[in-house]
Amino acid sequence: MPKHEKSTEGNDGSGDNEEGSAAENEENVKGTDKGRKRATPRTARSHGRGRARHGDEENEDDEDGTRRAGHHRHRNRRRGRAAGNEGSDSDTEAAKARKNQANQKSKEDDEEEEDGKGGKSGKGKNEKKVDKKPDKKGKKEKANKKKKDKKKSGSGSDSDSEEEPITEEELAKLKEEVEEKKKLIATLRNKPWKMKKKLSVLKEAQLFVEKFEGALGKGKGKKFYAYKVMMTKKWMKFQRDFENFKTACIPWEMKIKEIESHFGSSVASYFIFLRWMYGINMILFGLTFGLVMVPEALMGKPYGSLPRKTVPRAEEATAMNFATLWDFSGFAQYSVLFYGYYNNQRTIGWLKFRMPLSYFLVGVGTIGYSFMIVIRTMARNANDDGGGDDTSFNFSWKMFTSWDYLIGNPETADNKFASITTSFKEAIVEEQESRKEENIHLTRFLRVLANFLALCTLAGSGYLIFFVVRRSQKFALEGLENYGWWERNEVNMVMSLLGMFCPTLFDVISSLENYHPRIALRWQLGRIFALFLGNLYTFIIALMDEINLKLEEEKIVKYNMTIWEASLYNGTIPENSTAPPIQVDPADVPRGPCWETMVGQEFVRLTVSDTMTTYITILIGDFLRAVFVRFFNYCWCWDLEYGFPSYSEFDISGNVLGLIFNQGMIWMGSFYAPCLPAINVFRLHTSMYLQCWAVMCCNVPQERVFKASRSNNFYMAMLLFILFLSTLPAVYTIVSIPPSFDCGPFSGKTRMFEVISETLEHDFPSWFGKVFGYASNPGLILPFILLMVLSIYYLNATSKSYKEANLELKKKLQSQAEENKRRNKQKAQKSNEQEENPFETEPPKPKGGKQDESTPNQDNKKGQDGNESKKTGQPQEASSSQVLQHPSLAPSNHYPPQSQAGNLPPPSIAVTRPPGPRRYGMPGYPPGNPCFPGPQPGMPRGPHNYR
Amino acid sequence: MVSPAIALAFLPFLVTLLIRYRHYLVLLYRAVLVAWLRDRLTGTTREQRAFQYLLAHAIPGDPHHILQTFDQWCYHCEHLSCVGPAKGRIVERLLLERAPLWVLELGTYCGYGTVLLAQGLPPGARLYTVEGNPQHAAVAEKVIRLAGFDEHTVELIVGPSEEVIPQLREKHGLMKADFVFMDHWKRCYLRDLRLLESHQLLAEGATILADNVLFPGAPHFLQYAKTCGRYRCKVHRASLEYFRAIPDGVAELRYTGAR
Repeated sequence: MPKHEKSTEGNDGSGDNEEGSAAENEENVKGTDKGRKRATPRTARSHGRGRARHGDEENEDDEDGTRRAGHHRHRNRRRGRAAGNEGSDSDTEAAKARKNQANQKSKEDDEEEEDGKGGKSGKGKNEKKVDKKPDKKGKKEKANKKKKDKKKSGSGSDSDSEEEPITEEELAKLKEEVEEKKKLIATLRNKPWKMKKKLSVLKEAQLFVEKFEGALGKGKGKKFYAYKVMMTKKWMKFQRDFENFKTACIPWEMKIKEIESHFGSSVASYFIFLRWMYGINMILFGLTFGLVMVPEALMGKPYGSLPRKTVPRAEEATAMNFATLWDFSGFAQYSVLFYGYYNNQRTIGWLKFRMPLSYFLVGVGTIGYSFMIVIRTMARNANDDGGGDDTSFNFSWKMFTSWDYLIGNPETADNKFASITTSFKEAIVEEQESRKEENIHLTRFLRVLANFLALCTLAGSGYLIFFVVRRSQKFALEGLENYGWWERNEVNMVMSLLGMFCPTLFDVISSLENYHPRIALRWQLGRIFALFLGNLYTFIIALMDEINLKLEEEKIVKYNMTIWEASLYNGTIPENSTAPPIQVDPADVPRGPCWETMVGQEFVRLTVSDTMTTYITILIGDFLRAVFVRFFNYCWCWDLEYGFPSYSEFDISGNVLGLIFNQGMIWMGSFYAPCLPAINVFRLHTSMYLQCWAVMCCNVPQERVFKASRSNNFYMAMLLFILFLSTLPAVYTIVSIPPSFDCGPFSGKTRMFEVISETLEHDFPSWFGKVFGYASNPGLILPFILLMVLSIYYLNATSKSYKEANLELKKKLQSQAEENKRRNKQKAQKSNEQEENPFETEPPKPKGGKQDESTPNQDNKKGQDGNESKKTGQPQEASSSQVLQHPSLAPSNHYPPQSQAGNLPPPSIAVTRPPGPRRYGMPGYPPGNPCFPGPQPGMPRGPHNYR
Repeated sequence: MVSPAIALAFLPFLVTLLIRYRHYLVLLYRAVLVAWLRDRLTGTTREQRAFQYLLAHAIPGDPHHILQTFDQWCYHCEHLSCVGPAKGRIVERLLLERAPLWVLELGTYCGYGTVLLAQGLPPGARLYTVEGNPQHAAVAEKVIRLAGFDEHTVELIVGPSEEVIPQLREKHGLMKADFVFMDHWKRCYLRDLRLLESHQLLAEGATILADNVLFPGAPHFLQYAKTCGRYRCKVHRASLEYFRAIPDGVAELRYTGAR
């Protein structure tokens, strides 16, 4: 045995050096042979001899393998002789059952191929470890399988005798093979084969595994092994079920998929964004609810114990009215929902929960968490687009890879069908878009005009809001009681009306510009963004004015308080100053205006009214319109469905921006109204259902469907911007405005953030405070900030250079693939010419070791090529080995002399090779999946140099 | 009292409506307002004015030129709701493909459609055209004669379509129509189609063309044609006559026989 091993190794040596390419080579050869097989019907008669010979060669190989595997130990010595015998043996056999063989061949070849694949993947995993082994291993596996085949078919008479002596070594081999099969079963789905082939391979592999799994581990280890196998099976099943469960747990997944299939990815992207937002808000809600509201409700002082926790006497009569509650005043105002209810007690309850600190940290943490998650998502999304063009062969990709074969139920299949159709539409529109040529000057002029109009609209609406706010301030100064409902609600009305109508105007304007819908969507988003931003900041400025007013008022109240207290004491206890303080009902105590609660209320009201507006718009604008169009179409003088009102389209930009601005409001207001995240979660939850229903029931897909690739990141960028903008006023109020003196967790302090220094003083050892004091020294902070900026700059620069390098590599890959294709063609031509030469075809087929010796030259050559291509990764390897299949074939004489090939090499190549418009090395091939992209069943053996 | 600011907030909405439906507004202006004004000023009907223009500008005996003159008048002077050049090409092509021998046109109006159909007929074919309004019919008669089609080729029947269709076989000798072109009142499409069916005037494989199925639109007709199973329905998308921006369509129905 050792001797033989050595010899084979020696023979294989050249092949082993680049086993990767060798394995591929085998595949390629098969590809070729398959092509030839396809060609045979035409040239069957002329190739009769060739076929027969080829057949027997294959057969010989089979038996060779079998015996070698079975009788490794005793047969190796007389192998040379045996080979000859077998050759003759199988010759007759082949002659007898050529047809049979043809049938079987395909099966066997399948196995072969998958073997090669298995080997390849194995190599991919541990390339270093198995430098020389894999070939051997592959060989043995093959041999084993042959044995199995024989056993199954019963054609091998000597197989029974060979089965008995199973040694450890063989056991290990068998085990390995079983593992291999299992792996194959697991990865079979991803193989680019025909369904029929997949099924047959799967069946075979399963049979094999079943048969040998039990047989393995004979003796004492058997039971344990069987148990292990059973457990792994159960584990696998559990894992799969768990995966299914996980996908089923993704909320609204089915709904979104359904919408995506009918409306395209752009509408679906909105819903995905909505779902993402919902997740974020759930976490914000958990923070505020768990760390602020619940502790206060459970452990804080109860309602009515303090003035700040009691409804004042004047409001008591109306405090429980619905109108008051709906306005978030009355009992709602004096509850955990708002800032003012919280007490400035340092610790509450038996847990010694530090309420003010918790409140402050939750407020900061909300914003910090949002920043983190938005930026992280953006970074992750940015990774997705690797740069460069992945657009080549778009249609063939869609054509051949769209269908999901795992779809089980008819409804999903319908959806998938619809979605594939939609995606085709999208792609076609995009293609058209890229081919179109038009009058550039006219378009430019129109675009400038459109922008001018949009700017005019923006300026006009800005001025209108400004005007209204000024007027409302005038009204407020004069006293709102003198004015009617219209005057009081003028600002809100104007703002929501402008927010409703201006986007439609922008939409109409943008039709002038004639952009691609995706770009048009961005413009639209940008314009509406500007509009909403104007609205928001007008609102904030108005709020700031109000805060200033309240601060003035507070001073007066503070002064009055002292007078009131003095009068209280003076009136009741003039004689004894040490008597306990008089009990006054907390409802009667005069109190300050508490601007924080006012701000929180404003934000809550705005959120609620915004939600209501959205829902009413959906109900009227979409649902009622759809009902009208649908049912009045029977008795109308023109076609309502095609004509004037029609059904509405889903307004992506408006909805996305509404969502984003709403979120900005939440971020701004949640510090002063801890209930805001809860309200928002509720809103998002309902709007998910409502909008899903509205879209499916009353909207029509856009006329121009388009792909929403990468628009998600655009949404994210806007969200980040809004987050930043909404953090500004919140931070400003926290840092620079003193908190109210008689409400909220920070009352009594000059600034809110003093709660931190207070905690440091009381709850931490003194050295910590000292360290903190040093650390907060500007001399230390400034260099730190500088360092951060520098590191960001550095990281940015490196990432850019990586991107460039990636692009460069991609280009290189592409060019090399082209180069290889060209070379491939040349070599194929050459080989064809060689075949023409009768002298070359004459030498008898090399047998056994001889054959092995005959090919190293080519292999060396190939090795160089392979090495060269290895630099660029697997696909390259594949194509480089493809290049060589012909030269290595020619001497081993697998090509029958093609009499009619004559001087027409290209057509004969086209016949003998698998159709290769797009092979592995080509761009657009998915990275990391370098398997052969076409079915290639049933091809005879390639060169046997590494067998 | 609503404040002016709120009223101003509706301005973008108005502008949006104006811009979005500008083509329809222009159509309203041209087809209704201008026509009404001219009727008042000249004392003649729109159709007569069109015929006068035709007399002055068209070459008699040349149907092509007559159609062109019609188009010219509609583009430059007033709007006339006939087939129009864009949809006319669709009709012409279908007529050439089918080469029908018995053609029925419902709704002659000014004779534009009639001339269009008649010039594309194969030799030996006969065209029946039905018009409900006698004034229009008088103009149409003159137009048809001006184009050089005699009574053997084109027969103009005056009378409302629901009365004429039952009598077609007895009075006018139309046994089976191979090709039907509908361009009268859009509300009557469905009723007349059913009438044709019930009187078995449709030959096997007959083609029925219906104009203006999208604008002003004949939804019931389309729905019936799509669902009843006796027709293979196809809508050729085009634009309204003389208004490129308003979408319209011609429905093509192949009669596949009774169930």
